[in-house]
Amino acid sequence: MPRARALSALDINFIGTAIAITAIGCMLIYSATYFTDPSLNLLLKQVLWIAIGIALMLLFMLVDYHVFFEIAPVLYGIGNVLLVYLLIWGKVTAHVKSWIHIGSFQFQPSEFMKIFTALMLARYFDRQESAYMNTRSFLRAMAIIALPVGLIIVEPDFGTAATFFPLVAVAMFFGGIRWKVWVVAAIVLVIALPVGWTLLHQYQKDRVITFLNPDRDPLGKGYQVTQAKIAIGSGGIHGKGFRQGTQAKLEYLPARHTDFIFAVLGEEWGFIGVMIVLGLYLFLIIQALNFARNARDRGGTFLAICLISFFIFHVLINVSMQIGILPTTGIPLPLISYGGSSTMMFLIAIGLMANVDMRRFGHV
Amino acid sequence: MRVYRDDQKFLTFRINALLWAIVAIFVFLAGSFWFVQGVQAEKYRNLSDANALRPVAMPAKRGLILDREGKKILADNQPAYSLTLDRVVMRPIVKSDKTHRGKLVSFLATSLGTTPQDIEARFEKGKVIPFARPIPVAEDLTMSQVASIQAESLSFPELNVEPVQRRNYPYGTLASHAIGFIGEVSERDLIQHKELKPGDLIGKRGVELMYDEYLRGKDGTQFWEYDSHGRRLAEVRTARQDPVAGSNVYLTLDFDLQRRAEQYFVENEFVGAVVALDPRNGEVLAMVSSPEFNPNVFSKRFTPDTWKVISSNPFKTELNRAIQGLYSPGSVFKTTMAVAGLAEGAIGPGTTFDCPGSAVFFGRRFRDWRRQGHGVVSVTTALKVSCDIFFYNVGARLGVDKISEWAHNLGFGEISKIDLDGEKAGIVPSTEWAAKKQHRKWYPSETISVAIGQGPLIVTPLQTAVMMATIANGGTIYRPHVVRMIERQKPDGSMERLQVASEVLRKVRIPDTAWKTVTNGLWKVVNEEGGTGGNARVAGLDIAGKTGTAQVIAQSGWFSTAGLPFMQRDHAWFVSYAEKENPQMVVAVFVEHAGQHGGTDAAPLAKLLYESRFKGQIENAALDLNNPDTLEAIREGKLPVPGQEKKAPPAPANSNFGH
Repeated sequence: MPRARALSALDINFIGTAIAITAIGCMLIYSATYFTDPSLNLLLKQVLWIAIGIALMLLFMLVDYHVFFEIAPVLYGIGNVLLVYLLIWGKVTAHVKSWIHIGSFQFQPSEFMKIFTALMLARYFDRQESAYMNTRSFLRAMAIIALPVGLIIVEPDFGTAATFFPLVAVAMFFGGIRWKVWVVAAIVLVIALPVGWTLLHQYQKDRVITFLNPDRDPLGKGYQVTQAKIAIGSGGIHGKGFRQGTQAKLEYLPARHTDFIFAVLGEEWGFIGVMIVLGLYLFLIIQALNFARNARDRGGTFLAICLISFFIFHVLINVSMQIGILPTTGIPLPLISYGGSSTMMFLIAIGLMANVDMRRFGHV
Repeated sequence: MRVYRDDQKFLTFRINALLWAIVAIFVFLAGSFWFVQGVQAEKYRNLSDANALRPVAMPAKRGLILDREGKKILADNQPAYSLTLDRVVMRPIVKSDKTHRGKLVSFLATSLGTTPQDIEARFEKGKVIPFARPIPVAEDLTMSQVASIQAESLSFPELNVEPVQRRNYPYGTLASHAIGFIGEVSERDLIQHKELKPGDLIGKRGVELMYDEYLRGKDGTQFWEYDSHGRRLAEVRTARQDPVAGSNVYLTLDFDLQRRAEQYFVENEFVGAVVALDPRNGEVLAMVSSPEFNPNVFSKRFTPDTWKVISSNPFKTELNRAIQGLYSPGSVFKTTMAVAGLAEGAIGPGTTFDCPGSAVFFGRRFRDWRRQGHGVVSVTTALKVSCDIFFYNVGARLGVDKISEWAHNLGFGEISKIDLDGEKAGIVPSTEWAAKKQHRKWYPSETISVAIGQGPLIVTPLQTAVMMATIANGGTIYRPHVVRMIERQKPDGSMERLQVASEVLRKVRIPDTAWKTVTNGLWKVVNEEGGTGGNARVAGLDIAGKTGTAQVIAQSGWFSTAGLPFMQRDHAWFVSYAEKENPQMVVAVFVEHAGQHGGTDAAPLAKLLYESRFKGQIENAALDLNNPDTLEAIREGKLPVPGQEKKAPPAPANSNFGH
């Protein structure tokens, strides 16, 4: 039985870890919102989205990923059409036309577009013969990413457009640009970025930061980060305990159920809780890279790398901004932050990565 | 095969490179969190206990409400002091000192001059407010209260005296029903308006309610540093978000007309309503509902029972009689009947009926208000002397459904869509109405009562004004409105004025002969000897109108109700416009339970208002042009040139939004 053979190769720990992270997310959303939202509306919505997300995850796991490669152009096309639709008929939410409203439900097509673009890119690399790219094949790979990113920038939602960056990095790093080019590019970047940044006036820097994240830090002057650090630091080693956080509860901490939910973790579960969650993420990342290494074909390898690159990008940026290592941006914590489209997107990604791993032994 | 192996090696190498880079970053992150949560934990725990930085709301200034010229401010804001309690500061104190709460309650009771129970009740009320926000304890502190509370600020650091803006209505009762008042948000408001928070003050009635989103503005936030004892240290200026002041609202009300009308009701101790409309655009020039209330009493937070006291008043002060009071229109309705009869061809301009004092219709005898009758009358005379028998005949010829159709055409039986809350539609009976609402058959004899504005027919004073405005301007129904203009600050600081456009709801086709005949009749009511509205006559001004006296109790004979108890006396109406050929103002006066005829109690007020509105023109007309001294004065410019002043000021353009 081919399916049974594939299923027997399923990495239960990988799936289980992802679901454990969503459960921790629900507890944190509860802690962050029960005081101001006693009806627990937000928590119940998140549970519903996780349920839908798990169903989607199973679908994207059980159907052979080569089938998805076959239909990738169709999905990619539909995604782009939806983005164009938003541009023309989108309802403006917070000055950004990024939501499609279906009845009372709304979703962000750009989140799903990440999956479709990753599929399209992996399919492209699957059909590449050489380990190294020439200029033409590199530009083609970039074009696949540039189309949806361009549409999202026009919306204008720079924050979401920036989250496509990992795909660019993957294409460059794994697509095969020669070392020499990398070294030169890296040196130029390392020198140019800080120099360029210091050359900018303060107001220009502020503008760049707000340009990338409109509405994310309305209080200015790092109010959110200050409050997040107070929350995390006051949690200490052991944390204040479930529901015992005061910073988050008392509305000092804006976006405490979305972008700054990690601070709620730090306050209530302390350093121990932070280490456990970081450990779970690290496990997911290591496993996914193993999947990539052991994949049956180039397409599988690239698919796993593309998808895990989203995780790596979101986790590192979100966790770093909690204690001020990076500036505040509107990037959610995968599978933990409140939000339907993002939660579903990450669960689909988990399903696809498991899919690659399940079918590492051959066609089934 | 070579390619593949090469590729495999390449990918594996880079995957491993990425893996180790990530492990390194995770180790770095773990170290950073160790630094914050292990090494610096104590520092952050202290900051958390004190919470160094806290947001404090900066309430936005509510917009002003002004008269139509913007010369009189009808609602503004006065500086006042209110007392709030910060539970975040209070909690650690109460934990270490169990007696603190009791001390606080008795201190507040003493310094505010109230009971401990009342203080507890105020605390209880504040529980709906999120914990991090201060709860209001008292408003309008006197300077001595401020001083005594400030003196104890070290013992009670949780108390804060905040400067606030309190809503103030400088003219008290003036136009109180149109302006309305503000009050604390209700649970329902909070669900409907996500931007509001518990404890906010918003418009509750009238313009304050209907234009609340313009008047309200947007609150700002200050960020204050606190020390570990919960004392406020300094504001973080850079984080401040300034509040955005609310927009100013200019009413259509004319201050002089409004005040004159209100004085008339106060001086005569009348209960009732007045509506003055501009028939060219629907602007409400005056709107009175008497008795009035003083909206200043609602600006205070801790007087929840004030409204109940006012609602229990036997004269129903809370009712805006102009738009919510429903009354029989009485003979005022004969205006509608005349238009309907002529337009439908039931009568012509020359049709006459004999009025012997009473007549039989459908087997019942109906009386005229004048025992001896009016003799043989045509429609213009019937309007002038308010003959009942003539209109009984018109009613019998039209039938109730045609009457109903024309009453609806002229704005009865439906809301006028005025920009005020709680407007009533009234009732215009018809056979369909009887079947649907009363589940009964309509009797033709009932039609006879409706023909003179009695029976189930009930209307608001505003509807009578709308009807008269529609006749005055030849058939255009405008949407009445009390707001003329909104003045708001643009983000760049400049002021922007948004005109409220006048809106045509519909056009009614009134045949030309019908219009001429009816308006002639209405002119005769005021200006011919024997007309019922002679008390409104102003020399040099062509006023047209119709009186009305509406019965409250069924009368079995001819007698005056002036001596009866208040609630049984007749209502008095006078609904009119000027000038006949150039209508600029409609005035509907309604006096509840006046006991006298509309011509006696209601018409004199209309006269006062016309005298005020057309002052220059009336003075012109009084000039004796045959007197050489007068001509000399005009030549020297001491007196206005006749005819120049007489031109009506152009009606405000039906402008769109803009400057």
